[in-house]
Amino acid sequence: MNDGTKSRSEERTRKRGEVPDQLELAGGMVPGSAAIVAAATGDSEAHAYGVASFYSLLARPEKKLRVCTGLSCRLRGADEVLSAAREAGLDAEGYSCLAACDAAPAVLKGRETLPEVTPEDMARTGGDWQQLVSSSPRMQTVEGAPNWFGDVGSYDGPLVFDLPAGESEDTSALAAAAELGTPGVLDAIEASGLQGRGGAGFPAHIKWRAVAGMPAAPHFVVLNADESEPGTFKDREVMMRRPDLVVIGLAIAARAVGATEIYLYLRGEFTIPRRRIEATLARLSAAGHLDGLDFHIHEGQGAYICGEETALLEALEGKRGMPRLKPPFPVEHGLWGKPTLIHNVETIAAVPFIVLNGGAAFRDLGRGEPGTKLYSISGHVGRPGVYETPLGVSLDELVELAGGYTGTLKAFSPGGASSGFLPASERTRPMDYKHLADVGSMLGSSGVVVLDDTVDLRWSALEQLRFFEDESCGQCAPCRIGTRYLRDAVDRDIAGTRLSNGEAPLTHVDDAAWQMVEGSICGLGQIAALPLTSARQHFPADFPSDTPPKDSASPSEPEATK
Amino acid sequence: MIQRTDQLPTIELDGRQITFHPGESLLEVASRSGVQIPTLCHDPRLDPAGACRSCLVEVEGQRRLLPSCATPAVDGQKVTASPEHSPRIERHRKSLFSLYLTEHPGEDHPDGVERGAPNKLVRAAKAFGAEDWGKLENLRDDLLGDRSHDENPYIQFDSDLCILCAKCTRYCDEVESVSAITLAGRGSETTIATPDGRSLLDTTCEMCGGCVAVCPTGAMGEKKPKTHKMPVEAELEKVRTTCNYCGVGCQFDLNVDPAAREGGGEIVKVTSPTPAPPPPTPQPRGRTGGSTARTRCGKGRFGYDFLHHEDRLKTPLVRGADGELHPATWDEALAAAAAGLRGVQERHGKDALAFVSSSRCTVEENFLVQKLSRAVFGTNNVHQCAAT
Repeated sequence: MNDGTKSRSEERTRKRGEVPDQLELAGGMVPGSAAIVAAATGDSEAHAYGVASFYSLLARPEKKLRVCTGLSCRLRGADEVLSAAREAGLDAEGYSCLAACDAAPAVLKGRETLPEVTPEDMARTGGDWQQLVSSSPRMQTVEGAPNWFGDVGSYDGPLVFDLPAGESEDTSALAAAAELGTPGVLDAIEASGLQGRGGAGFPAHIKWRAVAGMPAAPHFVVLNADESEPGTFKDREVMMRRPDLVVIGLAIAARAVGATEIYLYLRGEFTIPRRRIEATLARLSAAGHLDGLDFHIHEGQGAYICGEETALLEALEGKRGMPRLKPPFPVEHGLWGKPTLIHNVETIAAVPFIVLNGGAAFRDLGRGEPGTKLYSISGHVGRPGVYETPLGVSLDELVELAGGYTGTLKAFSPGGASSGFLPASERTRPMDYKHLADVGSMLGSSGVVVLDDTVDLRWSALEQLRFFEDESCGQCAPCRIGTRYLRDAVDRDIAGTRLSNGEAPLTHVDDAAWQMVEGSICGLGQIAALPLTSARQHFPADFPSDTPPKDSASPSEPEATK
Repeated sequence: MIQRTDQLPTIELDGRQITFHPGESLLEVASRSGVQIPTLCHDPRLDPAGACRSCLVEVEGQRRLLPSCATPAVDGQKVTASPEHSPRIERHRKSLFSLYLTEHPGEDHPDGVERGAPNKLVRAAKAFGAEDWGKLENLRDDLLGDRSHDENPYIQFDSDLCILCAKCTRYCDEVESVSAITLAGRGSETTIATPDGRSLLDTTCEMCGGCVAVCPTGAMGEKKPKTHKMPVEAELEKVRTTCNYCGVGCQFDLNVDPAAREGGGEIVKVTSPTPAPPPPTPQPRGRTGGSTARTRCGKGRFGYDFLHHEDRLKTPLVRGADGELHPATWDEALAAAAAGLRGVQERHGKDALAFVSSSRCTVEENFLVQKLSRAVFGTNNVHQCAAT
């Protein structure tokens, strides 16, 4: 497909992909950096500046310490840690979820995530951010670099990922895939029923066959490791414990869809998982397992929206991470306009098992829907961590593995902030794509956050709305204005003030939420109202000044309004 | 190849059968057939962005509403685009424009709604029954064009009015290839900016004013008309003319305030004619209407102060025996010039003369100058500044 030569214009286009990396080297968004990067990449200075201002890690380079303000971290003292940092004279800021909810509260030091940081740790720095160390027992040194692992566990049955077993580099799937050939691999993926584990649950085989059959060349494979959904940290743990599954899965996918170039998009805060992936790539490559394949690692620069696949492609192309209009979909018009297979880490990591054991073996592991699932669980449970179980376990079953509830269950989010909140009465509902969609929620990234009865759901909804407001890309009005409008309304509701026109603060939130669902370009805006609408629906007592929604049309079900 | 109309594919639009040419967007088909779909971010010269969400329509078989600007018509498609035919479209437009107004001053802007440019958002909000949902504080930066910060004399940006349709930045990129401005920041703090927040004078900006011309709300505005205390555009008289700064021949409209200068009228700004509506057959983007439908360069757009300047020459002047310049008729002036040229030629020979023309003249005028030089005065000493 790819004869290995690139035209000069193609090279120029590729060069633009370096803009974010070059900006990091130039010190982020500081006067003059955009000009330097423009000269180095051939991009315009204005574009480079626009990129620098878009990504959190580039836009505020002076912030060396960033305290996670995700729900799980705030439940475990993130606010106190941030205050302690400021008291110690440190220039720290609150930051969107760091994918370390099991090690809350987490702090990003430079580009490295530290687990279980305490106010005392902050006080001990003496005002020098470089002196911050975590006194958490999780911290250890592996291969000469600071590393830490989260807790993992599994149900008592056959496992696809087997994270508790630790690193065991098994390359036999590569030979099995070679023996099956492309049609055999595609058939196995189809038979497995594997659904995209990033959140959408789209059947993987449809994407594989589509890319494999596209006449345009070259084809690309992209790994979405921008794990940023609040409450989710399973991909981090897969990369830490089974990087071999990720790399081998990518190699099998690339060979099956006719790609030679593979791009790994890791969120920039994943310095430690990145080291694990790089070490594995080096080992497998030296052993000749990756012949004919080019792996490129791209570090994200801090933007939740880049977990959306088309925003991720824009970021890989060196632009502001603003989602594209779909259709066309990436299988047809992906990276640099070429057919692209893009998958979440967990989806790719399931491929070796499927190739080795056959599609049916994977499919039969689930209850109703295929396969096992890696659930991240945090909040008010005994042992937060990543647990592998059949897809479709209930909250009660999962929490039993995770050390039981601490306190009395009041609410939970089954799939990160984007899934809204469900009441304790749903604790026995199977947590799979269908059963959660049935109640207006979603499995999403299966980042389960458990809240006990000390938690106010109006406050929780506010925190999630604040997250979406911070992370909206700003491209389309329904999301850009809607996220802000809802957050402002809840702020006013809590403060007991009214809208500027004198109305009660929540008067128009249902209409605003409806508009976000219907009008937004991408999934972020379409789900960003869910924390508020679900909290109001299930926990009206936490909204004492609220009046019942004036409109019966539920914003989570746009079809109903047709 | 021209196809017969009865062979063309068809969509059903609000219950009517409409033929289309392959490649046309739903928005193009609709606007051609008299179905009004609002759009704030679309311009035929730009790639469709689908960002303003005004033009969403219902397409049968699609769960989500689709942006008609970016959705190609497909044979047999059933499309619903009007609020009268779809409660969903009605609710969409009403709630979208209500949301827009929460961070837009609407008609309460201190400089008036139009500020010299029609505010399409305010008109659409009125047309679709937008409600008052209260106002949000503006978090955006508007360094660009700020008087205390950016001393460029022509262009200013008012973030209060900006709806982030990005027409200005896309025009600057896609049509002018200048890329002086960019979207900057993220989320509700997203704004329009220059690199490092510098003055436009210190960027690649060529002051073409295209950003001003494409802005649907007047957020990108002109500094000059404000100083002229210009009335709303509807009260201005437009006079179509050809720019005489160079030979390209751009058409533009002089906007005349008839009441200014004690009823004598005054040119208060220059605008470009609205780009021609999309032709029925698709053409490559950027070719629509040729050069005469483009935005002017900075000279044509902003260089009109001389027209009303008190020092402007309005008649020819001829230097008399007293050494002073005296007003003269054109016949007198041309006769004096001809006599002078002939005199030099007779005293010093043909090649003592040289003719220098201007790139502000048309090709035809430059042709005549070289004809005058070679055929009438017999010298090859002729030059024009654009020839180097």
